[in-house]
Amino acid sequence: MKRRVGIILAVILAAVAVAAIVLGNREPDQPQATVVRGVIGSEKKPFFDDPRVKAAFARQGLRVEVDTAGSRQIVTDVDLSRYAFAFPSSVPAAEQIKNDRGATTTYSPFYSPMAVATFEPIAGLLVKAGLLRDSGKGYQILDIKKYLDIVSKGTRWDQIPGNSEYPARKRVLLTTTDIRTSNSAAMYLSAIGYVANGDDVPTSDAQISKIAPVLAPAVLDQGFAESSSEASFDDYLALGAGKTPMLVVYEAQYLAHVFAGDGAIKPDMRLVYPSPTVLSKHTLVPLAEPGNRVGELLTKDPELQALAAAYGFRTTDPKAFDDLVAKTKAPAASGLVDVVEPPTYERLDRLITTIDSARP
Amino acid sequence: MRRSLAAALLVPVLLLAGCGSGGDPGGQPADGPDVLRVLAGSEIKDLEPLLRRAEAEAGVKVRLTYTGTLDGAEQVAGGRADGNVDATWFSSNRYLSLIDGAASRLATQTKIMVSPVVLGLKPAKASELGWDGKQVTWADIAQAAKDGRFSFGMTNPASSNSGFSALVGVAAALADAAGALTAEQVESVTPRLKDFFSAQRLTAGSSGWLADAYARDQRVDGMVNYESVLLGMRDPLTLVYPGDGVVSADYPLTLLASAPDAKKSLYDKLAAWLRTPAVQKDIMTGTHRRPIVPGITPDSRFGDHQLIELPFPNRRSTADELISTYLNRVRVPAEARFVLDTSGSMTGDRIAGLRQALTALTGADTSASGAFTRFSNRETVTMFPFNDTPGRPIPFTVPERDPASVLADIKRFAQGLDAAGGTAIYDSLRAAYDLPPTPGHYTSVVLMTDGENTDGSDYAAFESYYRALPQDRRAPAFVVLFGESDVEEMRQVAELTGGALFDARSTSLSSAFKEIRGYQ
Repeated sequence: MKRRVGIILAVILAAVAVAAIVLGNREPDQPQATVVRGVIGSEKKPFFDDPRVKAAFARQGLRVEVDTAGSRQIVTDVDLSRYAFAFPSSVPAAEQIKNDRGATTTYSPFYSPMAVATFEPIAGLLVKAGLLRDSGKGYQILDIKKYLDIVSKGTRWDQIPGNSEYPARKRVLLTTTDIRTSNSAAMYLSAIGYVANGDDVPTSDAQISKIAPVLAPAVLDQGFAESSSEASFDDYLALGAGKTPMLVVYEAQYLAHVFAGDGAIKPDMRLVYPSPTVLSKHTLVPLAEPGNRVGELLTKDPELQALAAAYGFRTTDPKAFDDLVAKTKAPAASGLVDVVEPPTYERLDRLITTIDSARP
Repeated sequence: MRRSLAAALLVPVLLLAGCGSGGDPGGQPADGPDVLRVLAGSEIKDLEPLLRRAEAEAGVKVRLTYTGTLDGAEQVAGGRADGNVDATWFSSNRYLSLIDGAASRLATQTKIMVSPVVLGLKPAKASELGWDGKQVTWADIAQAAKDGRFSFGMTNPASSNSGFSALVGVAAALADAAGALTAEQVESVTPRLKDFFSAQRLTAGSSGWLADAYARDQRVDGMVNYESVLLGMRDPLTLVYPGDGVVSADYPLTLLASAPDAKKSLYDKLAAWLRTPAVQKDIMTGTHRRPIVPGITPDSRFGDHQLIELPFPNRRSTADELISTYLNRVRVPAEARFVLDTSGSMTGDRIAGLRQALTALTGADTSASGAFTRFSNRETVTMFPFNDTPGRPIPFTVPERDPASVLADIKRFAQGLDAAGGTAIYDSLRAAYDLPPTPGHYTSVVLMTDGENTDGSDYAAFESYYRALPQDRRAPAFVVLFGESDVEEMRQVAELTGGALFDARSTSLSSAFKEIRGYQ
């Protein structure tokens, strides 16, 4: 059976290679480019779309084309036979793909901590409500334990004493993406799950059953959630606090705009860090040979590493990232200590399924 | 104006037909290496001039096929769009995303622009109500509606996203829901929804048609519609942005997972082009929609209100419950009159098609769009079958509860239809208007004929009859083109009555009837 899949895969790859040569020949400037198609988390799409990134790959004879999908979708729904690599946004998802597809190696060229994008008047209210405080290291932290208390009480914005800035009747809830499709929501779930589990990574079904009802309101009561982190960040940037008073983001999404100085981050916008937080380690799983080359280049090519930093990702060599933070006075936390590990893919998947079955 | 309206409505149906048969609709390219085939909501029709520029500026020819919101969602989720189109462009993917299995059909989604659904009122009415420049909530609006202080139009939530968004927003606000609406909240908020919607005087299957119908009807004080549509009206409206929140459309251009690789590149190019600052600015100035890309200075006409976005349901059953509650319990009940050609030329497949189309509306169509197009509880349906002369009108009233037996009666009526004799179109149409409307109902007429008028009075006679009718006896006629019906005369009937044309010649009577249900 496995052999047959292998043969089919080989045939498909041969077809892809032929198509690549045919298509590659259409580009007058890169006559020999091999097309490598990957499926990635949406938050990395701007990076792959950047002409400088495309040029860096082109110099190595590659043209990388990407489709986006949620990390969990990449594991469960996407037909991976169409792709030379999968590049989900977390280690658990990558490990699962690696096991499913019998890949031998993975590449983790960059990572980004989960953060919360909010606005000045909201941040002020969160301080008043005792959820947000200074870390003493130049950035603010959102206390997840206290946040879960507020969630369990069902507190609304207009119930925070002295709130005239944001008198919305909505619940005080972090906006997340859809836990069923999006990695950023799953990473967030890992962080709050750790707290709900008594400051420990959940490792048993019994623990999952116990914490699921505590966590469910934090992700379900917000109502409809976007399927990708790019879409919800679009809302944050364009529609402001009315739509998204506080949004769970990858730090990189926010910093990319600060580093670029493109004016998207307005003066009243704030980046704060949940405590604890989780690192989203973007991990590439090669599914065919050219995928390996993409993984190697992303990890080792100094130019690609610098470009990844420009997109807000923390790279293996921290220098590029640190330089950009210093240059733009970006609000990036240095020395994040309260970082916890996500559960295994299987455990996290069970947590998501259990919570989802309680959708209101 | 009226002519263009009727013509405009005809287009979507024709295009949809082109989709199935792979033809070349409306001079648009059918397919080709640089063609991106997009299944779209009619809401984005006003972007067509802009999209024509995409060929020169982005290297993408966009071929649009229009469909209704729910219908489109079902097509995509059920996989029927796969292979026929490469991408979708609806005003929102929210309902679609709630359907099981839909997520795996969709690849990349890129938001292009934003428009909140709000209330627009004639300026004099807004100031009479004290709503210009003051913070107003949906509860205030519902109270004024209950007191009969204003009237409004809104699209049918089962056919059009603007009506659905408005319904979700009003329900969430009136239920005082702090989080996602639940089925229990839908139940408890129903009396308040009834208050609000008691002031609805105009319904429609699409937001564009609603705007045209509103412009024609001086008796209606305003409408709930996209901010973009309200700002685009020739006679300016005062926009009321409820302080407790709105639901906005975000127009995600969405790649289907089934699209071939070459089309994916076209999708990327089009999405990137649409989000360039220049195009975003053109979208804003040309169509009054808010840009999604930061850094574009917003038009001052959007005002500086902070728009609270209300939570949207995250369960399909809740969304469906809300729509079904609106149709069967909340809305002003419909009074639908069906003038049906049963002449000799209808013999065979045609009469069978008519039987089937009517039967589908009695609950036989079990898809979601079928469930929402069936004859609703509290609705009055009167059948006017005709041939040489108008037949005896046959009335049905679907009860508020337990509709099954009346629906079965209508089904029996439909199954018993037979074809013979001549075609007295205008005598029969006149019979439908002779019947006084039921108070407290929303009256409309459907005219279905497959041929020319052979008996009785002619169009000219009907026109003078109609023009002499008092305002409260007039009602839009939704005219179905079928068989050899006289297109020009049918168009005149639609224009005269402020109705619309629906083409069943290349699709089916069933799909035309289903679409018309959105307008009743």
